[in-house]
Amino acid sequence: MNLPAQIFAAVLGTVGFSIMFSVPREYYPLCGFVGGAGWFLYCLVLPYAAPPEATLAAAVLVVLLSRLCAIWRRCPVTIFLIPGIIPLVPGGDIYWMAYYIVMNQVDLAAEKGFEAVKIAVAIVLGIVFVFQVPQRAFGAVVRLFRKR
Amino acid sequence: MEHEREIMDVAIEAGHILLENGAEIFRVEETVYRISRHYGIDSGSIFTLSNGLFVTADSVGAEPFAKVIHVPVGSAHLDRVAAVNQLSREIEEGKYTVGQARAELERIRHMPGKSYRTQVIGAALGSAGFAYIYGGSPIDSLAAFIAGALLYVYILFVSRPHLSKMVGSITGGAVATVASMILYGLGLGEHLNYIVIGAVVSLIPGVAFTNAIRDITDENYLAGVVRMLDALLVFFCIAMGVGLVYAVVQRMMGGAVL
Repeated sequence: MNLPAQIFAAVLGTVGFSIMFSVPREYYPLCGFVGGAGWFLYCLVLPYAAPPEATLAAAVLVVLLSRLCAIWRRCPVTIFLIPGIIPLVPGGDIYWMAYYIVMNQVDLAAEKGFEAVKIAVAIVLGIVFVFQVPQRAFGAVVRLFRKR
Repeated sequence: MEHEREIMDVAIEAGHILLENGAEIFRVEETVYRISRHYGIDSGSIFTLSNGLFVTADSVGAEPFAKVIHVPVGSAHLDRVAAVNQLSREIEEGKYTVGQARAELERIRHMPGKSYRTQVIGAALGSAGFAYIYGGSPIDSLAAFIAGALLYVYILFVSRPHLSKMVGSITGGAVATVASMILYGLGLGEHLNYIVIGAVVSLIPGVAFTNAIRDITDENYLAGVVRMLDALLVFFCIAMGVGLVYAVVQRMMGGAVL
């Protein structure tokens, strides 16, 4: 796997989605950074873990970074979270499921479909847990960086 | 007290813009409360669904106020969400009178969206990027760029203005698959599968999916479940559109092209 190219493609894709969702232009770089960082972690973890586990790790990072960026730039977390999470969405698995259904390979289709559900659950867990961290904790981190 | 009505209208308009453009329920309700409270109405109460606002206020000495607003779910404009967020913060800092806030909301509502050309380029970049990260080669990525752009032109001019969400997603998936097959047939790209995966990516309901999770986490189950259903339905429809084209092509030519 060509890691720099992977990250570049993830950043590009995330920025593309930011454009589609009408994110204000000044936030494109941050959106790209969040999406790229998430995919970077996914690629790092993947050799040692199953895709849902790697997705969970990446989702946690994406939500953490999104919340930090939101407090830093004083804008809704949605702006970074939605484009940033998109590389992790199991679009590929859903595609393969449809593909195998058409090809009449039901076992493979079920496998891919189940994988897609597991990955979606991993994303849900990442979002649910990191949003439990109180806002103050993020505020403190941002202030720490501001002082420097 | 005519004033109360005016204040509530401003608060509701802020909530309306947020809900319409892809904000989570928590933010909508919080913003309406904050604005109404800042201007002195403590009796405001709001209930939000994924496509509607129900607001009442009943201050002492004023006519009871109630309003129901239907908010059809549009495409996401996160710049408007950011602008209303900023406005609500500045209202709390005391920078706006009710009249000024109303004018500012009017401006936000009519904020120009991104031009069609920019949106198509965005979709094409998304397709190119995702074709690559899902396993394609750079050439596949280029083919996905073109197919993704074609799909978005279809979305902007045909499916969004004229078709329901379900039919739009099914035909969108089909259009992207046909476009990818044609490009692949012309010799552009090495793996048809990855081109198609990239090409359909702009149909993915990212806003509905992410907001659904957040709403359910905030215990806004009703709105969250509706949004999740919306997202799952769209996922299903995209897969169906892709699958239909494959099934037809397979019938006509055998499995060889795939």
